Amino acid sequence: MIKILIVDDEKPICDLIDLNLTSAGYHCTAVQDGLEAIDLIEKEEFELVLLDIMLPGADGYDVMEYIRPLGIPVIFITAKHEVKHRVKGLKLGADDYLVKPFDVVELVARVEAVLRRYNKAEAHLTAGDVTVDVDARRVTKAGRPVELTNKEFGLLLLFMKNKNVALFRETLYEKVWEGEYFADSRTLDLHVQRLRKKLGWEHNLVAVYKVGYRLEVQE
Amino acid sequence: MKFSIKLVLSTMIVLALALGFSGFYFVNYVFETSLDREVGQSLDESSILSFAFETAALNVPLKYSVLPDSVVEEIASKLEMGGQGGGRLLRIADEEKNVLYTSGGFTADEGLLPQTDEHTKSYRVIRAQDSFYVHTCVSINALNRILYLETMKDVTGVFTERAMGFSLYRKVTVVILLTGTVIMLFIASLLTKPIRLLTKATREMAAGDYTYRARQISRDELGQLTGDFNRMANALEENICKLEEEIEAREEFMGAFAHELKTPLTAIIGYADMLRSHKLDEEKSIMSANYIYTEGKRLEAMSFRLLDIIVAKQDEAQMQETQVGELFAYLREMFAEKKDMDIRFTHEDAVVRMEANLIKTVLVNLIDNACKASETSAVSEAGVVEVSGQTVDGGYRIAVRDYGIGIPEAEQSKIVKAFYMVDKSRARSKNGAGLGLALCAEILKIHHSRLQIESKEGEGSCFSFILAHSGGMD
Repeated sequence: MIKILIVDDEKPICDLIDLNLTSAGYHCTAVQDGLEAIDLIEKEEFELVLLDIMLPGADGYDVMEYIRPLGIPVIFITAKHEVKHRVKGLKLGADDYLVKPFDVVELVARVEAVLRRYNKAEAHLTAGDVTVDVDARRVTKAGRPVELTNKEFGLLLLFMKNKNVALFRETLYEKVWEGEYFADSRTLDLHVQRLRKKLGWEHNLVAVYKVGYRLEVQE
Repeated sequence: MKFSIKLVLSTMIVLALALGFSGFYFVNYVFETSLDREVGQSLDESSILSFAFETAALNVPLKYSVLPDSVVEEIASKLEMGGQGGGRLLRIADEEKNVLYTSGGFTADEGLLPQTDEHTKSYRVIRAQDSFYVHTCVSINALNRILYLETMKDVTGVFTERAMGFSLYRKVTVVILLTGTVIMLFIASLLTKPIRLLTKATREMAAGDYTYRARQISRDELGQLTGDFNRMANALEENICKLEEEIEAREEFMGAFAHELKTPLTAIIGYADMLRSHKLDEEKSIMSANYIYTEGKRLEAMSFRLLDIIVAKQDEAQMQETQVGELFAYLREMFAEKKDMDIRFTHEDAVVRMEANLIKTVLVNLIDNACKASETSAVSEAGVVEVSGQTVDGGYRIAVRDYGIGIPEAEQSKIVKAFYMVDKSRARSKNGAGLGLALCAEILKIHHSRLQIESKEGEGSCFSFILAHSGGMD
């Protein structure tokens, strides 16, 4: 399992990230102090560090200086949104920069993107008897290949990465179609219906009233 | 045109005019005196000649009752020969002004003859070819005849002298003007140096270097101007520094505010999102809801505090005479429930002018801080907070002393800044927003007072302020 270290001086934020990443299938450790973070990085191995900048002990930039030679990918998570701060963070070698307040879906997507860049992401996603080979873009159900269009594949990936999470129509639309969402658009519903039919997920892809859809699977 | 060049040019123009005029006047004066002298000499000479003529006429044989023209010619030719070196130039005319005798080389016209009668002498200066002559005319009374004797005297020398004088003077003038220009250029550059220095200072300042000052090199009006300019620059620099500090403080405040705002917002949005999109078990739901609640509370506390500060900044506080006893009674009652702390109140009775509610806010904040600082302290007296009021020079001093963890020296000047927390994670766990001391500082500013902090890490802190006695203020 992929191990992620969360460093943020706010316990509520640590818990929030922890909960979401855990449900996305990662193993998380959270600390609230810069020096403690360095201690932990020395002792244990992490595939990714989520780092706040304003920290007691040693600030995020200091911690970053320490991490860089170790080659562990880092995503800064901070309230400092000015370009100069972002540039400073990225120049120090951070892989991404997430500004508070952030969307949970966004966080998961960024984490996934950075891990994939380092070839640390899970190459295979499974839900029930459906398996997705992300790199090969191959989908199988009970061992038999299933043909999906591009959009259907994108939708499926989103659902697989956010199992048991209700995904909003806006979010789905923005991520898959990369365009603005129109409230009366039926495109999304059509694609979800196609997906249900192709994967036999009539009962797994549940419509959530006034929200969107949720992939329900037993873990 | 440059000022120094203008200065040099105008000086040179005045100098040239003065030199030209005085030179012309002087040379001319010399010339005129010489000419006058020559004329005088000529007239004298012609008088002598006329006398000599008359004397010669006396020797004429008595057979003539009237001087005959032939004798006139004879005498005239003798007189002509009588001159030193080459003979005189003369001409003799009779009563009707008909010329009787003319010596060789006498070239003047007869312009003088009509002007002359037997009682007058006349003269004029004439020019013939390249030479100048004094032309005189006198009458001769000899042997019942009135004759007119004209002479010509060469005065070219005087004119040549004048021309030479002018040419010499021109040369001298040119030399004086040239050296004068060089000297004036030097002087002008010396005189305008303060202006150049000022100009440079102005440019430097305009370019943003507010620390640049013009060097004062004289005590005259320009020196004064430089001094005044530098004073103005000082005032300007001070103001700009103040402005920059203010802007920096504001930026810092905005940055801190944004950060403090975003953190609870992130939690609220994140947990609310989880609640609406995840199927959470009961424990996690409650935890999420709890976080939303506490973070919301934190935002609420922060916004109230901010409002307090804004109000404190804008409102003219209603100052009233207040019994210190009442203030302490209020505090004692308020902190009576805090059983785990030993808060000791001591005060001297006095009447102090203050806005009681605001001062209560300050003291409650300070005592709260003292309690928080004492909680984790290892000092033996920890748990004791002393609140004291006493009359001192210049007013009434209220102090809150604790034996808690203290404040590191480097942090002491920063703690009254908004959102500043010495130990952030610990302060947050007690729901502090880092605004308490900033609020206290604002309130004390209204009271024309300020917060004094004495603190040693590990030994405790003492926060105090002095309120002026009633009547002593405003």
